[in-house]
Amino acid sequence: MWLSSVFLKTLRDYRVAILGWGIGMGLVVISPMASVSALVTTPQARQQLISLAQTFAWNADPVAVDTIGGYATFKIGMLMFLIAIWPLLAGSRMLRGEEDRGSLDVLLSLPRPRLRVAVEKLAAMWTALLVMGVLIGLLAFVGGKKFGGDFGVSDALLFGLNLALVCAVMGGLALLISQFTDERGPAAGWTAGLLLIFIVLDMVHRVVPNTEGISRLSPIYYYNLSKPLVPSYGTDAGAMVVLLVLAVALGAAATWLFVRRDVGGTVPLPRWLRLPERRASRALPVGDWSLRTVYTRSIGMIAMPAFWWTLGIAAFAGWMVYVVQLMESKLSSLLSGSPTMANLIKNLGGGDVGVNAGFLSAMFFFLPLFLMAFAVTQVNRWSADEGDGRLELVLATPQSRTSVLLGRFAALATAAVAISVVTLLASAVAAAAAGLRLDSGNLAAATLGMIPLGLLIAALGYLASGWLRTAADTGLLSFVLAAWFFISFVGPELQLPDATLRLSAFYYYGTPLLHGLQVTSVLGVLAVAAVALGLGTLRFVRKDIGV
Amino acid sequence: MAAIIEVEGLTKSYGSKRGIDDVSFQVEEGEVFGFLGPNGAGKTTTIRLLMALLHADGGGARIAGLDCWKQSLEVKRLVGYMPGEPALDPNLTGGQILEYFAHLRGGVDHDYLKQLIERFELDISRKFRQYSTGNKRKVVLIQAFMHRPRLLILDEPTSGLDPLNQLEFEKMVIEARDDGRTVFLSSHVLSEVEKICSRVGIIRDGSLVRIGGVSEMAAIKRYEITITFADVVSAEMFRMLDGVAEVESLEHGHSVRLAMQGPADAVIKAAAGHQVVSLTSHEPSLEDSFLRYYEADGASAREPQGVA
Repeated sequence: MWLSSVFLKTLRDYRVAILGWGIGMGLVVISPMASVSALVTTPQARQQLISLAQTFAWNADPVAVDTIGGYATFKIGMLMFLIAIWPLLAGSRMLRGEEDRGSLDVLLSLPRPRLRVAVEKLAAMWTALLVMGVLIGLLAFVGGKKFGGDFGVSDALLFGLNLALVCAVMGGLALLISQFTDERGPAAGWTAGLLLIFIVLDMVHRVVPNTEGISRLSPIYYYNLSKPLVPSYGTDAGAMVVLLVLAVALGAAATWLFVRRDVGGTVPLPRWLRLPERRASRALPVGDWSLRTVYTRSIGMIAMPAFWWTLGIAAFAGWMVYVVQLMESKLSSLLSGSPTMANLIKNLGGGDVGVNAGFLSAMFFFLPLFLMAFAVTQVNRWSADEGDGRLELVLATPQSRTSVLLGRFAALATAAVAISVVTLLASAVAAAAAGLRLDSGNLAAATLGMIPLGLLIAALGYLASGWLRTAADTGLLSFVLAAWFFISFVGPELQLPDATLRLSAFYYYGTPLLHGLQVTSVLGVLAVAAVALGLGTLRFVRKDIGV
Repeated sequence: MAAIIEVEGLTKSYGSKRGIDDVSFQVEEGEVFGFLGPNGAGKTTTIRLLMALLHADGGGARIAGLDCWKQSLEVKRLVGYMPGEPALDPNLTGGQILEYFAHLRGGVDHDYLKQLIERFELDISRKFRQYSTGNKRKVVLIQAFMHRPRLLILDEPTSGLDPLNQLEFEKMVIEARDDGRTVFLSSHVLSEVEKICSRVGIIRDGSLVRIGGVSEMAAIKRYEITITFADVVSAEMFRMLDGVAEVESLEHGHSVRLAMQGPADAVIKAAAGHQVVSLTSHEPSLEDSFLRYYEADGASAREPQGVA
């Protein structure tokens, strides 16, 4: 049945995403619901929470944040970029991705109009988003019931529908842009860039008075006009219709262009919109430094993703350092009224210390998590290169398997060091700009101290890739990372035994911003990473390639 | 002449799935050796074992006296390799790929590399992902030849190349052979093997079933004789003659088509007893023979006597 039409086949392809993304995003909605009751135990704490949320009003609309639904809506509003990732990727991949792989040629050779193929695929994406929206809505309803929300099931479903609609707009936009790009990557990249612009446009009216006209240019603005989980605020049907019309218009425009262009070709942009053409060199790139060794080539491969991750991690650290002082008084009141939050900050941040340092230390706990997530993506790439046969020709040259593996690992280690150093510099500059006094040695320990953890997860990934295929390897690493995070994040609150807490790599990161580098722990993590890398190398040297 | 490739009892399985079983052969230095077999027969497994991309379960392989697994680095210095399914970084241009592999090989003669690029008329400014299948294969083919290796190991090298480039490839193989270098190529394009190889090994279901010179291989071929008579002649009179494998009556008995496997003397003498209008002989390509060799079960019954 699932292979009987393009629509059903495409929907079948989305089944894991529907469940994973739908349930995952549903859990993301539930998480703040779980914490809000702990945050508003006293009227004073409630007031402080409202006040603290106002600090972030530039980012998301703080409406009724002291209610279950309001707080969840506020938090989800801050995660718009995360939520739009799947439709953005799905839209850019829907036609262009299949053209990249050549599978669309076969599909279009069937006696079936091109328009119908495109419409069925688009309909499948919309259906997938709708099902995800229903899942998110149902989970939001369950969360609301559990934690005392005052919204009904229809409100929760409207919330899911609103999310699905804004996602359909982003998916349609990605699909439309992919008609102009010859690969899916740039389409996803351009759409992500536009999404950022939309988020900023939506922010404008919350920061600068009387600029609503500018924000109206952003689909995010129309999404934010509805807050179904806040019954007193309600749903703006007109805004939802605007999103629906936008999604349909973008999808229709993309389909219209697709049926008129060459398969594998692009719609030519007007001359004034075209980037200046780079004159392709027909000479051999003899002087290209990145082609000299496996290590330099690996650096070349990792440079672009490392740049973006560096930007994100350094910006996060710098921003946290910069705003911590501004939030001090509100945060202090909030923590005094919320023992749960205070404990969390204490557990992550490391002990009874000043609010600023403790909060900052807790926030810096996320830095190694981000770096490790980056390492997981790079291990995924290594594993995929082997699985896809891209290592075969390299290994047919007189390069030992050890040098190939270590060359790739060294490039990852270089990127980890670069990310950490830039994060250190960004934090130091932010501290100076905010007039915050931080121990420079501890700041260096907190930023550079995440390197061993990045190397550890990478080494474990290289080891596991000796046996596991890409998806399983990445899945295992993600699970390990999530388990470590869970153990360290909520383990102390659950009073897990010390032996369990020690199973998490984050345990050995410690609280360097407050207590400096724990040399023994760092050396221990490095030793485990070295052993894992050694075993991984031994396995790689002996294994069958690409089997 | 010394053997440059020595394979002895080479065995490889993929769990419960068959790879190759007890494969043994030698390739002499300076010869062009064709490794033939249908899809899934074990050609690529054998080649990947030679390239130390797979570890053998049993037996061994040596190249220039060096153990392919234990001394793989030294082996790879001698070898130019072209995989059956080229997979390379899709974001690099053809030029970047060739330059990268030139560095990994410790440097190559760039003038020679440019000659190869020109010979194949390859646009090296395009990204690998933008190349057609044929152009992708050209990139990989050029990287296999660019360091003038002593031994070329090529897995189905002409698959996807247009006839002009196939011709260019054949010239390059002949030049390599004339240069004293060795070429080991797998193929199921028998006409190509027939043209450029001096010896051939046939692998089937993971086992080497035949090895010998191309001329010896030709001995397994059948050939056809079609005789047209002025009168109706019974085809049955030819059926029992020496060398006749099959008989077919055509044109209401005025013609016979004989599938021959052996000398035609008896047929000619029998035909001479009638008024012959025409006689044509047709030699099938090795491809036809190969297909027949691999058609239904019972291959041994078809194996002719006296062929090495």
